[in-house]
Amino acid sequence: MSAVATPSLSAPAERLRNSLSSSRFSEKVEVRDLDLPTMEVAPADWPALAGWLRDDPNCRYDLFLDLAGVDNLKRAGRKTRFEAVVHLHSLPRNEHARVKVLLPDGAPPSLPTVREIWPAADWFEREAYDLYGFAFPGHPNLRRILCHDAFVGHALRKDYAPGQRWFAAEEDMKMPAWSQETDTRAGHFETQTLSIGPSHPATHGIIHLIARMDGERIARAETQIGYLHRCFEKMSETHTWNGVIPYTDRLNYVSAMINGVGYVRAVEKMLGIEIPERGVLVRTILSEFSRIMDHCVNLGANLVDIGALTNFWYLYQPRENIYGLIEACCGARLTVSYVRVGGLAIDVPDDFVPRCRALLESIPKFLDDVDRLVTNNRIVRNRLQGTGVVTKEDAVAWGLTGPMLRASGVPYDVRRAHPYGFYDRFDWDVPVSSEGDNFARYLVRMEEMRQSLSIIRQALEIFPEKGPVNSNDWHVVLPPKDAVYHDMESLIYHFKLIMEGIKVPRGERYEWIEGANGELGFYAISEGGGGPYRLKVRPPCFPMMAAFEKIIVGGTISDAIATLGTLNVIAGELDR
Amino acid sequence: MSGVVDVSVRVPKTLTLAQKLYLPQVLAGMRVTIRHFLRNIFAIRRLPTILYPEQKRDYSGRFRGKHILKTREDGSLKCVACYMCQQACPAECITIVAGEHPKIAYEKYPVVFDIDMLRCVFCGFCVDACPKDAIWMTRNYELAFFSRREAIFGIDKLIEKPGIPVKDGYGYRPYYPGDGTVPPTDAATAPVIPGDGERSDLRGRLPVFRPPTPNLAVKG
Repeated sequence: MSAVATPSLSAPAERLRNSLSSSRFSEKVEVRDLDLPTMEVAPADWPALAGWLRDDPNCRYDLFLDLAGVDNLKRAGRKTRFEAVVHLHSLPRNEHARVKVLLPDGAPPSLPTVREIWPAADWFEREAYDLYGFAFPGHPNLRRILCHDAFVGHALRKDYAPGQRWFAAEEDMKMPAWSQETDTRAGHFETQTLSIGPSHPATHGIIHLIARMDGERIARAETQIGYLHRCFEKMSETHTWNGVIPYTDRLNYVSAMINGVGYVRAVEKMLGIEIPERGVLVRTILSEFSRIMDHCVNLGANLVDIGALTNFWYLYQPRENIYGLIEACCGARLTVSYVRVGGLAIDVPDDFVPRCRALLESIPKFLDDVDRLVTNNRIVRNRLQGTGVVTKEDAVAWGLTGPMLRASGVPYDVRRAHPYGFYDRFDWDVPVSSEGDNFARYLVRMEEMRQSLSIIRQALEIFPEKGPVNSNDWHVVLPPKDAVYHDMESLIYHFKLIMEGIKVPRGERYEWIEGANGELGFYAISEGGGGPYRLKVRPPCFPMMAAFEKIIVGGTISDAIATLGTLNVIAGELDR
Repeated sequence: MSGVVDVSVRVPKTLTLAQKLYLPQVLAGMRVTIRHFLRNIFAIRRLPTILYPEQKRDYSGRFRGKHILKTREDGSLKCVACYMCQQACPAECITIVAGEHPKIAYEKYPVVFDIDMLRCVFCGFCVDACPKDAIWMTRNYELAFFSRREAIFGIDKLIEKPGIPVKDGYGYRPYYPGDGTVPPTDAATAPVIPGDGERSDLRGRLPVFRPPTPNLAVKG
């Protein structure tokens, strides 16, 4: 650590450096002030630093958000080839921080596991092992997670040839060792291993659940994912910054708009450009409508799983109407590709505001119907109340965010904690429940939809009737079409943007927004080219799915199905 | 958590005796479903479902369906084979082979212009990328094939044929911010693009050019 403190440190980084200097890590950790306070540490000190970061009263980084591997092979001026980049959030202090574990060259990349400190790290470490080949000594279940078991090599390393194809035969698919064991305990009644999925109507996506049944109860469970892995992160490294946008639609495809907004925010922050108010409000309004759709799909499908079929149609009709609005704006219902770096693809249609107002009129009627059918229904209550309980401590330790975390009593909502898109201008509530069971998650989502409607109503009040939606920086936004047709200078800008892409300055950025099911983060690294050097998504449902196998132990299979529904796991985002 | 206000706590209400007795709640639920049933019976025209394929959903003028290659007045393709759409395509589904046009004024034209409809993700980036107003999208979404080869659409399938109406009408097309900031939703009102060589006085209307902002947001 340098002896002279740089005067330009931001307040959070300064505070972090001060607390570090009085700790035993003062010589071992270097604090840098990027977009987030960033600590650089060697692998040997990492578990001790992790424990300190979680427990020190001046830090309290209790929420493990993300672990991203980075391969610096083609990146100049880096100390080591491999870095493990960890993003953390402190709930008591409402601050993000980043830790870079620099893995020394000359040895296979390896760093100690921190899953004892943050259980949420478990699956993220498996992911880094799978895609980068990082070893995590001490991790009990270090297996591939997104790629299949017959895969050779580590796909996100820069020297991996992407054209290679690996085929998995049935005998290559590994089942966890414990599922093959027989229970030899004396006087034991009945144990058997049950395999649910990968293709099962209740998984709503392709997820494989292996459960050891002790009579009616689940004694042990494990989920296998990766069946929908489409190498989003690898693909984004070969595309321009704008070319990634259609891929983001396919992450959480139930609320595609929110992903695009999250992604372009990261790029816009790196560029340092501002979007006109009207453009931001369009994004906010359509994001909130997408959130309503996401909750509609989630609740509708969940209620179908537990036998309340009618609600599915009452919840799908508003979704259908919202899709109509989104299609009128951008030309597609599901895969919107509407946002662009610097604004939107196209301005909203003339009748945007009246259409939004009509939706605001119609949606509450459907919510009321579902409310009447479900909320005080004893059958639903018997199925949902007291099942799938997640305590407050567990929710934080497992890295849950979004409605899951709020249903467990933690009022962390990115829109409130880290306002973006004018959310600080609106008057709205963060719905929280302390029960932590499936019914609490139902209640939180129902209320969130009403709060989203209220946000949209207020956004329409301040929505400027006319005005630009795009930034006017021609190094980022395509010039207007009539100018391109007739003006040489505009054509040159147009040509440069299309052929080379937006030139994003060197640097890195983690931007996070409130996705429909939790904190959706994008960690982007630019090397000054037309596309990302590395793009990591922090998918909110990844830690949820990791927690699933712990939540359902002790319950029945039917409770597990009800719980899987309330997690809101979207396979497109889970497997990327 | 510091600084958080306006938190509304959702506590499930304890069920009343009537609600605990199953039957009243079942009847209350029946009331909702029967109301929907009757409404659907008596307003059958306003049903949310449609009888596809007899009846089709009415899409907006921005719908991103099958592409169409626009032509000049003499029926030749407007495309000048500049490869910009091919470069912009995130799915890499466009293949262009350029040739020299016999007419000197047109210079270049595409000998081959293939779009692989099975790869296409219908994002509209090709329309945004085109500097010659040569590729639009239509509202035609009924693309089904018997073989993969059939799914590769060449110029013959993509070109707009004079006199033959475009199936399902035009969809997504270039964005003309102009003054209204809204693109035309109907082909009839589309602005006429002045012919080649004709210069309109656009300089005054163009957005103010801004030099690149020094990047203060990212350090390191």
